[in-house]
Amino acid sequence: MQTTARVVVPIIVLVSVSLLLQGHNHPGGGFIAGVLTAVAFALLYAAYGLDYLDIGVLNRDVESGSGIFEQRTVRAYRRTFLLGLVLAVGSGLAAVALGAPFLAQTYRIVESVPIYHEIELASALAFDLGVYFVVVGALLTVISVVGGE
Amino acid sequence: MDRGPELEADSERRPNREVGAGVSLVLAAAVGGLFALATFLLLRRDLMRVVWGIAVVTQGANVYLLAMGGVVEGDHESVPVLVTHGGEVPVTADPVVQALVLTAIVISFGTTALALALTYRAYEENETMDIQQWE
Amino acid sequence: MNQIVIAPLLVAVVAVVATLALGRRPALQRATSVAGAIVYAASVALLAWRVVLAPDAGPATYQSGGWPAPFGITLVADALSAFMLVLAATVGLWSVAVAVRVLDRENQRVFYHPLFHCMLLGVTGAFLTGDLFNLFVWFEVMLMASYVFVAFYGGAKHTAGAFRYLVPNVVGSAVMLLGIGGLYATVGTLNMADMARRLADPAAYGIDVAPVVGLSAFVLATFALKAGLVPFQFWVPSAYRAAPLPAAAMLAGVTKKVGIYAVIRLYFTVFAAAGLDGATLPGTGVGITGDSPLAFLGPVLLAMAVASIAVGGVGAVGRETVDELLAYSSIGQVGFIALPVALAASAPSGAVRRAAVAAALVYALHHALAKGLLFLSTATVRGATGTTRLSELGGLGQRSPVLSAAFLVGSLSLVGIPPLAGFFGKFLVFEVAARHFATVPTAAAAVPLAAALVGAVLTIVYITRTWIGGFWGTQTPQVGQATVDPVQVGLLAALAAVILAAGVAFDPVYRFATAAAEAALDRGAYVDLVDPAPGTTLLAAGTGAGGALGSSGGAARPDRAGERGAGTENGNRPADGGEGT
Repeated sequence: MQTTARVVVPIIVLVSVSLLLQGHNHPGGGFIAGVLTAVAFALLYAAYGLDYLDIGVLNRDVESGSGIFEQRTVRAYRRTFLLGLVLAVGSGLAAVALGAPFLAQTYRIVESVPIYHEIELASALAFDLGVYFVVVGALLTVISVVGGE
Repeated sequence: MDRGPELEADSERRPNREVGAGVSLVLAAAVGGLFALATFLLLRRDLMRVVWGIAVVTQGANVYLLAMGGVVEGDHESVPVLVTHGGEVPVTADPVVQALVLTAIVISFGTTALALALTYRAYEENETMDIQQWE
Repeated sequence: MNQIVIAPLLVAVVAVVATLALGRRPALQRATSVAGAIVYAASVALLAWRVVLAPDAGPATYQSGGWPAPFGITLVADALSAFMLVLAATVGLWSVAVAVRVLDRENQRVFYHPLFHCMLLGVTGAFLTGDLFNLFVWFEVMLMASYVFVAFYGGAKHTAGAFRYLVPNVVGSAVMLLGIGGLYATVGTLNMADMARRLADPAAYGIDVAPVVGLSAFVLATFALKAGLVPFQFWVPSAYRAAPLPAAAMLAGVTKKVGIYAVIRLYFTVFAAAGLDGATLPGTGVGITGDSPLAFLGPVLLAMAVASIAVGGVGAVGRETVDELLAYSSIGQVGFIALPVALAASAPSGAVRRAAVAAALVYALHHALAKGLLFLSTATVRGATGTTRLSELGGLGQRSPVLSAAFLVGSLSLVGIPPLAGFFGKFLVFEVAARHFATVPTAAAAVPLAAALVGAVLTIVYITRTWIGGFWGTQTPQVGQATVDPVQVGLLAALAAVILAAGVAFDPVYRFATAAAEAALDRGAYVDLVDPAPGTTLLAAGTGAGGALGSSGGAARPDRAGERGAGTENGNRPADGGEGT
């Protein structure tokens, strides 16, 4: 289980990021990328236990005493959720501020970037990123809270 | 002769429909099966089964939505994205229903999660999963 | 672009995010929430001004993301939407203001305010959207918030209530999806205006209209479930009792009306376009007489309305607690709203139909205000005395005359005493029922009138019972020790004044309602408003050349389909293609 997780988790995260980046005009997008990332975390939790993130990765002690809702990691997840929400709504509002309709999107092709030569930079990415954070934050909060009980 | 143009249109459309006839049959059977299963599960006394029923009924509706789109020979009108991405137009499913189903999946996902959370709370409060032993 | 159309939605979204972000600073969160509701009300007022009241007023549309109809999601603000939004904003403002004062601080801190604005967001979206599937999405947003409200307090009863609310509504949502999917496959569009256009001329689009009746029945069942009409009323009492009372005021006052609104909008503005002469129900040979799905809506909704009035009234009479009584009462009152809608569906002429829809809207407004006031008063009573049982209450009239007066105004409006708003609501409903009886004086035509009479008598009975039990008589220990919060009482008195004002200055209200009814019935204006371009040319092509152009709506508009290049997946639906016709 742990061996599998070691191999699979990086791949899942990579795939999820690629899904996020190409989501605006290929299959993919914020939601599915978020779900995949959350799945990667869930796999870690299942393989190494709930405290692995605190002890093994971030090298700090698990707080004890306060409720699961107030733990550092869960708080971070909730902040992620909020950040995503702000990002998604903000990207929509930005369009309004610029005089375009709510959620209107555009894209610009950035040329002469090393390696890629040209990158299609879509404003939809901001919205997708917001959705991604919302999904990751919400799912991980649920997973760790329910898992903790 | 009033129906002339219409009949012509019908015969033009029919080959398109034929592409998906087999698929439609399978989808119809799947929708029927899912709804039957969901009804059975929703009427159980065990709360966990009810939640399963919720999950299944929403999935049944999603499969139904897909079936409503049908599978047709695609063209540039039905799949405008393909105008800019490669010339070939394959046999496609209706993109609109795909978008609908995506949305519906997200919603059913949230609802099922909420139902699970409620189930967990109900279990903690009543220490039983049997609905009839409540209150 | 009319940014004002989307303003209420944006205000609600920002309020959700802001209240969520301020979860750690409770005082600021409460202030933001109330401010959000005030700004929301202001934006709705501005919208209503622009759509109905201003000298150059006219309905407005908004294409979200800039995609043209029928491909993008259209928001439509006409008089009907504006009327419903005003209703929602008024109840919402008072609901959140009272909630801030009456609910436990700790309970408010966690999720109350984000949820409240989330619910408001769902309601707003449902009132504004011009897209069938988008309507479903907003329904779900609204429902998701209300699920959590019902399960808000821990405890076996609340969880049970939440389940009783959740499971039927999930099934209802699935059924609504069945209806929407079927309508898409039959008609080939989800845009309501486009749907009305295609249904009006099925031959040009190659549509078989007969299935529309059955499919409309699917969505009708879901809307009736959301509105809590018999036979879908079973979730109402347990859900309203479980939810915090200010939230129950929203549930009874506003979210129920969304179901009614959806019935009016879809049936009168969209489905009524379908001509059904000579169609028969498959397998039965029963002919659908009449010329549109309205002929189906009339009798079915009438039966639901009559049964709701009876069940709600009889149920309310025997209740022991005020909140339960109000929950049953709202089943009956929604019956009163549905009754004129049903009669409008079978009305012979346009004028009668408009009067009937206007009566339903006036009654909906009156019920939202009165029932909102009653639920909020009950919240204050429970906050002060700790109980809502009639046997433990008594003498409130002595203890707090102003609170009692506010409750009395709500009650009398519900009964229908002039000059309160409720009088006109009841009066118009009776007028519609009487006119229906006058046109066809048969025993069957007397049923609505009789039902309304019985319902009115039952209302008087249970209101009297509440009044005698709770407010007259000697003070019980609970009432004697109660301390009533003057701010809450002030808020309630203000809402009572609004009800009184709506009754005294009824003329503008009625004109607003008539304009809303007009907007609901004027299909041509609605269609032109949303998507003025293709209709006529397409029609000519369809009947003239026939063949490919006429058989497929999408094929006739390659110019529009081609506009959609990259970036179709950003929360907007991709192009509505020519498939499905």
